[in-house]
Amino acid sequence: MTSTAPPRPFVVQSESPALLLDGITKTYRSKAGAVDALRGVTYQFTRGSFTAVMGPSGSGKSTLLQCAAGLDQPTKGMVMLGGVELGGRDEVALTKLRREQMGFVFQAYNLLGSLTVYDNVALPLRLTGRRPRREDVYRVLDQVGLEGKAKRRPAELSGGQQQRVAIARALITGPAVFFADEPTGALDSSTSRQVLTLLRQATDRTGQTVVMVTHDPVAAAFADRVLFLSDGLVAGSLDRGDAARIAAAMSELEG
Amino acid sequence: MFFLSRQTVRRHRSLYAGSFVALAVGVFLLGLAATATAATVAYDGPAAASITVDLPQADPPQQVRVPLSDADVSGLQTVLSLVAVISGFITIFVIASTFAFAVASRRREVGLLRLIGATPRQVRRMVLGEALVVALAAAITGAVLAQLATPLLLAKASYTELAPVKLEPASPWVPLLIAISAGLVVAMLGARSAARRAAKVAPVDALREAELEPTRIGVVRIGFGLLFLAGSIVLLALIRPGTGEAVIPLSMFTPMLLVIALTLLAPLVVPWIGRLWALPLVAWTRVSGRLARSNVVATPRRSASLAAPILAISAIAGSMVLTLSFAADAAAATIRDTLRAPIVVTAPEHGAAVRERILGTTGIAAADGAIPIDLIRTDGDSAEVETAEGIDLAAATRTRALSPISGDLTNLTGKTVAISKELSGFEGYDVGDEITVTYLDRTADRLRVVAILPTAPGVTASMVLPPELARQHAPEATPSQWFILPAQGSDAGALVTALNERLTGTGASAVPAVEWEEAQGEALRQGNRFGLILLLGPAALYSAIAIANTLLMGSLQRRHEFVTSRLLGATPAQIRRMVLWESSLVGAVALSLGTAITVTVGVLIRRAMTDGMSDVPATVPWTVLLGIAGLCLVLAVGAALAPTAFILKRSHPGAAME
Repeated sequence: MTSTAPPRPFVVQSESPALLLDGITKTYRSKAGAVDALRGVTYQFTRGSFTAVMGPSGSGKSTLLQCAAGLDQPTKGMVMLGGVELGGRDEVALTKLRREQMGFVFQAYNLLGSLTVYDNVALPLRLTGRRPRREDVYRVLDQVGLEGKAKRRPAELSGGQQQRVAIARALITGPAVFFADEPTGALDSSTSRQVLTLLRQATDRTGQTVVMVTHDPVAAAFADRVLFLSDGLVAGSLDRGDAARIAAAMSELEG
Repeated sequence: MFFLSRQTVRRHRSLYAGSFVALAVGVFLLGLAATATAATVAYDGPAAASITVDLPQADPPQQVRVPLSDADVSGLQTVLSLVAVISGFITIFVIASTFAFAVASRRREVGLLRLIGATPRQVRRMVLGEALVVALAAAITGAVLAQLATPLLLAKASYTELAPVKLEPASPWVPLLIAISAGLVVAMLGARSAARRAAKVAPVDALREAELEPTRIGVVRIGFGLLFLAGSIVLLALIRPGTGEAVIPLSMFTPMLLVIALTLLAPLVVPWIGRLWALPLVAWTRVSGRLARSNVVATPRRSASLAAPILAISAIAGSMVLTLSFAADAAAATIRDTLRAPIVVTAPEHGAAVRERILGTTGIAAADGAIPIDLIRTDGDSAEVETAEGIDLAAATRTRALSPISGDLTNLTGKTVAISKELSGFEGYDVGDEITVTYLDRTADRLRVVAILPTAPGVTASMVLPPELARQHAPEATPSQWFILPAQGSDAGALVTALNERLTGTGASAVPAVEWEEAQGEALRQGNRFGLILLLGPAALYSAIAIANTLLMGSLQRRHEFVTSRLLGATPAQIRRMVLWESSLVGAVALSLGTAITVTVGVLIRRAMTDGMSDVPATVPWTVLLGIAGLCLVLAVGAALAPTAFILKRSHPGAAME
């Protein structure tokens, strides 16, 4: 499997990639013996690109996301985010990098139930010690289509609305890279579309980079490129494929 | 982060309700102890009933007013400070375990915070902030309740053995402020380890489905556990015959250290004892016992925090009850061994006629009536009221065992004194030393120690004076008890009858010594019982809350697990049985550790106290001890079963798929 379409002309190629994985290996040791989750993955995520990572279960896609976001240390290899190497940094340095450079959206339980929508969105700014400006919070809430819901608590929102709050929370710090782990896994197809459109807009309008792990070809079709993982290795990629082609490529990989 | 703390506490009210109640009760008890102490400090005895003595060796030299014994509130002060120590100890303990629980159940939420950019430090501050929010509310509630209850306590405590005066509430501000700050400090100490553990939660925990607790326990925890264990072993080794009277406080406070040690090491110990106790369960039940065993053994940390409050109260209460009972046994045996006379006459105050009537009775070989005399003993910078007695050596050496440990009683003439071994041990007096005393007629004197006698409270006073000296400074005093030795060949029973006939109308009465000894022992136990209720009552109430609290929280958190088991085909009765066995197992593990502590302390204290005595009866208060154990078990099982039944009734198996 190789690239079948030329890159989009309007994607700006800059000198350093948004995210660089260089020979990432991750070995988990357990009583049953060593398990290789990743076996030498090298890949560049270009600035302003939307990449979907797909693969059968156990292919290492979640591990890839966790290593890329500095949530887990690779056994071997190097991760560079915006030209900064993640390896060898302590928890506090990684945390600061995370809250300034990365945004996270995952399947469910994204929000703190004790806080209102407004407070959830403003939380990353508060954690950096900055006082959130009201207009900033309202701007991102407008952006995700949640105007008027600022005073609600997560329990009073639908699943799709909760995911949009999570996106708003990721947007507020203006991160360079968005990490999304099955962001539509718990949603129906029409709310999924809304959430994916918002991620799409992050790359198209503000030039942010999105890395999304998914098993859903429809979701993956929103990406510029689909990266296929199998058995801890990059098995191929597909640029600007539609859902049917992505599904076909997936079943080929699983078959 | 304080803003976040406030919000989380509001949201997780049920999770923090336990900590709130525990701390409010703790501050209530501390506050009550503090306001009552303030009342005793503010109590100003009538000026006539006190004597001013010089303390020339104090720095700077000063004069103090010593209140005389019948208006003394120091007994109440001692008990109140003990109540405060025990309440404070149990409060730290309970707060630490409820906070650990609250944090463990919010692993995922903490992971999420870390993921979106909270540093470990910020998480720690958030948890401490939560503790502060809960602690502030609880401390103020407790203080208000304490203020409301103070008049009641003072009314109850007035005119009792411990405070034979009328106590009035003093200004509450300082004592309540002390109680509130103590409550806050205690809460923060208790929350510290929970906060540290929360800070260790990894951001990736937000992405994980299962909220599994790490099963390994930290090296630091094991280190501290071993340290406390070593410390308590050193203290246990001190509970031996040579240590003297200090063995009683030692045997009361060493269990606290042991409880801390065992609680720290519990995650290592609990699975083993759990497996042992589960053997019969697994043999007798089909599936519920097996499930209960794996639940207890597989989550040692959880089981350990459920067991902690049961362990604490059973060990502390058990050791205290056993120690006081053995102390009473030893005291009764001392009285029996010291008293040689077969007849005792107890006489009322100012019974001038009693002396003539006793001496006039035929068939008496020796009548030993000591003259009681209160005096103030000053030593360096302290002044104590002591009850001394002037004894007639000729009679007393025949009616009681008075062979001195050192010195010579024949020198007891003029300005001299013989003291008990206990007093000599406490104050470091030796034969030949001089003791400064002030009599109630306000004359001061220096008495030379001529002998040290075996300690025998109830029979021989701690200071024994020549009779002439006692008579000179207490001319009105008459003996309150007489030890009577019948003449050779005369029957003791007949002599008792004869004495009682002659004594009619004086208020005095004669009884066989055996009967008198029994009454003394009973009075001692009565006094102990009163002290125990005062000391252990609040602690027991507190632990009951704690036991119910932890098990209630433990069960409420398992809604998902219960509902899933229902979906898999478990009947509600099977789940209830599993919870029943599980909580019984935790209770049994905790009680075995508590019993181990109690037995160790009991054996040591008995050896220490009965040294050099023979045939000391061993009274084990089985009803009380079994009652404590039973109550702990009933509370544990009830508090685990009630929420389980509630959850099972309210939820349908289908809820597992939500």
